[in-house]
Amino acid sequence: MDYRPPSDIYLQVALWAGIGTIVLTVLVGLQIVWLRFSMRRLQRREQALTLKWRPLLNAAIAGDELANLPELARRDQVLFIKLWLHLQQAVRGEASEGLNRIARRVGCDAYMRKLLVRGNRAERLLATLALGHMRDKASWEPLARAAHAADSASSVHALWALVQTDAARSAQEMAPVLLRRDDWPLSQLANILQNVRGEWQLVLALALLRVTPEELPQALRLVAALRIDLPLAQLKGYLASDQADVVLAALRLARSPAVLEQVRGHLGSADWRIRLQAVRALGELGDRSDVDRLRALLSDPEWWVRYRAAEALLSLPFLTEAELADLRNADDRYAADMLKQVAAEREVA
Amino acid sequence: MKPDSLVIQIFTVGVLVYFVLLNGGYLLLNILAMFALRKRAQEAVLDDLPQVYSALEPPISIVVPAYNEEATIAASVRSMLQLSYSEMEVIVVNDGSTDRTLQVLTEEFSLAPFPEAYRIQLETEPVRAIYRSTRFPNLRVIDKANGGKADSLNAGINAARYPLFCGVDADSILQRDSLQRLVRPFLGDPQMVASGGTVRIANGCEVRGGYLTRIGMPHNPWALFQVVEYLRAFLFGRLGWSVINGMLIISGAFGLFRKETVVSVGGYTPGSIGEDMELVVRIHRKLRARGTPYKIEFVADPVCWTEAPEDHKQLRNQRIRWQRGLSESLNSNWGLMFNRHGGVAGWLAFPFFVLFEWLGGLVEIFGYVFMAVAWWQGWISWDSAAIFFFVAIGLGILLSAFGLLLEELSFHLYQRPGQLLMLAVVVVAENFGYRQLNSWWRLVGLFKWLRGGEAKWGVMNRKAGWQRDIS
Repeated sequence: MDYRPPSDIYLQVALWAGIGTIVLTVLVGLQIVWLRFSMRRLQRREQALTLKWRPLLNAAIAGDELANLPELARRDQVLFIKLWLHLQQAVRGEASEGLNRIARRVGCDAYMRKLLVRGNRAERLLATLALGHMRDKASWEPLARAAHAADSASSVHALWALVQTDAARSAQEMAPVLLRRDDWPLSQLANILQNVRGEWQLVLALALLRVTPEELPQALRLVAALRIDLPLAQLKGYLASDQADVVLAALRLARSPAVLEQVRGHLGSADWRIRLQAVRALGELGDRSDVDRLRALLSDPEWWVRYRAAEALLSLPFLTEAELADLRNADDRYAADMLKQVAAEREVA
Repeated sequence: MKPDSLVIQIFTVGVLVYFVLLNGGYLLLNILAMFALRKRAQEAVLDDLPQVYSALEPPISIVVPAYNEEATIAASVRSMLQLSYSEMEVIVVNDGSTDRTLQVLTEEFSLAPFPEAYRIQLETEPVRAIYRSTRFPNLRVIDKANGGKADSLNAGINAARYPLFCGVDADSILQRDSLQRLVRPFLGDPQMVASGGTVRIANGCEVRGGYLTRIGMPHNPWALFQVVEYLRAFLFGRLGWSVINGMLIISGAFGLFRKETVVSVGGYTPGSIGEDMELVVRIHRKLRARGTPYKIEFVADPVCWTEAPEDHKQLRNQRIRWQRGLSESLNSNWGLMFNRHGGVAGWLAFPFFVLFEWLGGLVEIFGYVFMAVAWWQGWISWDSAAIFFFVAIGLGILLSAFGLLLEELSFHLYQRPGQLLMLAVVVVAENFGYRQLNSWWRLVGLFKWLRGGEAKWGVMNRKAGWQRDIS
C-alpha cells in the first residue's frame, strides 16, 4: 500500500515535528559518539605525555640540571601545563623554580601569555594559574585587567597571580579593588594573602579610609576575616560609628585592651549581634571587673549571647573553681543550663 | 455515537500541543543547562587543584534524620564524619525509632548524655535526650518522640550550631568532597540561601566504608530506567531552572541551606510528605513577598548516590509518594503563582510545575487513552493516532538523549563503551512502557493526595548488594 501524507495541516506540522525530532535525536547520538572518541583520544595523548614528561619534571623538582629536553608539540602544551600545575601545587621554593625553568625552556611562558590575552575562558584561567606560578612580570598588565573583570573565578585567580608576582605592587594596586569586591570568597582571599600580610596590612588600612560608607561594613568584615590589625585611632573611630554593621565588623577587630571601654559600652546594645560580638571580644580582653557584666548576659534573651557569655566566663583565666561552681549553681535556669553545656563541651574537647 | 468532529479536532490538537509544549519547555531547560555546564567545564582546571582550607569556610551542621536505620546508620555516620571539610558537626536525629538505631549509635560512637541548653527555634515533638560522642566531639545525637522526617529535621536545626545546615538522608552515599562542592555557591555570594547537588543511582556501583569506590551500571531493568531518568531530572531539569533562579526543589537526600533563612520561613512543615520541595517553594514565596534578594543554586556535580527501588511495587510506592509531595508543595504555596513579586519562580517555574509536573500524569494518560479510543472508535484517522504517538515518543527519546549528551559533555561517569551502549538502549526503551507507567503512578498519586492521608517515613527494603565492608 502506498503511503499518502496526511492532508490536515495540523497533522502535517506534527509529522514534520516528529521527523525533526528523530533527526535531532540521531544528531545527538552522533555527537555523543564523537565526544566519546575525542575523550579517548585526549586520554591517550595525556597518558603518553605524562609518561614522557613526568620523570623530567620530577628531576627538575629534585634540582637536576636537564641538558636536553624533548620537543613539546604546540597541541600538547595545554596538557603539559595541566600536569605541570599539578606538581606546582605540591612544591615550594627552589623546586617550584626548577619547574618554572622547564616551562620557560619549552616555550610555555610565551604560549601562556598568548592564551591569557586571546584564549577562551578556560584557557585564560589556565594561563592565569601558570603565569602566577612563573611570577611572570611581563604579564602584569593583562593579569591586572583580568583581576578587575566581573567574572569572580577568573578575577580572584588573577589577584592570586599578581600577589605571587609582586606582593608589594599588588597591594598598592589591588587593595582598593579587594575591599569593594563582595564576590571573592573570604576563604580564598585568606589563602592568597596568607604569606604577604606584611605588604598588605598598611595599604589595606589606608584603603579603608577611602571606601564609601556603604562599602565600609563589607570592607571591615574582610579586614577582620584576614586578621589584619588596624591603627588604634582608626579602629576607635569605627567602634564609635552609629552604623550597626560597622560597629559589628569593628568589634571583630577589637584585640587591644585600649578599646576595652568601648567594647563594654556595646554590651547593652539593642542589637543582639552587637552584644554577641562585644561579649566575644570581652572574653579575650576582659578583666575581673567584667565577670558581673558577663554573668548578667547569661540571662540574655538571645541564645547565642548566653552561649558566648558562658564561653567567655569559662575562658577567663583568673576565675577560681569556687567562683565557677557558684556561677553554675545560679538560680537563673537559663544561665545554669548554658554554663553546664559549655563546661561539658570543654570537658569533651 | 460519534462526537462532533470539531470537538474531536480540538481535543486532538490540544493534546498534541500539550505534548509539544511540555517537551519544548524541557528542551529550553536543556539549552540553559548546557550553558551552565559549559561554564562549569571551563573551571574544571580549578577542580583538579588540591583543596587548601583557610578556616574561613562557613562551618556546616549536617543533620541526619533517622527512623529505624539500625542496619546502615553506623556506616552512614562514619562516612559523614570523614567528609573532607574544614569545620562541621554531625547531628543525628533519632525519630523515635522502634528498632536498635539509638543503641547502635551509642555503642559505635560511645555516646554519653550531654547537658545541652537546647534552643527551640522551631516547634517539634518532645526531645527526650541529647547525647554526644566521647570519641567524636563533633557528633551529637538527638533522641526525640516520633514526629516524621520534617519534624526530625526541625529538631536538628534547633540543635545546629553553624550558619549552614545540610540535610542528609541516613542512607545517602556521599563522596569525600561532596560538602566542598555543595558549599561553593555560598562562598562568594551572601545572597545564597540554598544549594542542592545531583543525586545518582548507586545500584550497580561499589561502596566501601560508606563511600562510593566504583561506578557501575545496575543489572536490574527498573534501576536501569531510573539511571536515565535521574540524568534527565538532575542534569537539565534542575540545572536549567537553577540558571534562572527558578529551582523549586532540592533533594532531601543532600541539600545545603542557610539556617537563618529556613528558621525565618518556619522550617520544614511537620507531617508533610514532600518536605524538601515544600520548603524550597516556601522559601521562594516568602523571600519574594518580603523583597529579600536571594539565590538558590544547583551544583551539577554528582555529590550523592542513592539506592533505587528494584521492583515494581516499591518504585510505584515511591512515585506515588513523590506525586503526593509535589501536590502538597504546590497546593500550600499558591501565593507564589503569578504573584506580582513572583519573578521567575512565580511566573515560570511554578506554572510549569503545575501544568506539566503536577497535572502531567493526568493529561498524558488522558492523551494516550483518548487517542487510542478515538482511533478504535473511528473518530480519528489512523494517521492522526500514529502521528500523535510518533511525536510524543520521539520527543521523549530526544529528551533522554539530551540527558545523556549532557552527561557526556560534563562528567562522563559511565566510561566503558558497553555502559554507554546500554544507556543508549535504555534511552529508547524507557519510552515504550516505563514512561507511561510513571504517568499512571503520578495520576494515582494525584488521586491519593486528593483523598488525603497521613505522612509517614518512606519505607524501602534496601538490598545494598553493592555495599562492601560496611562496618
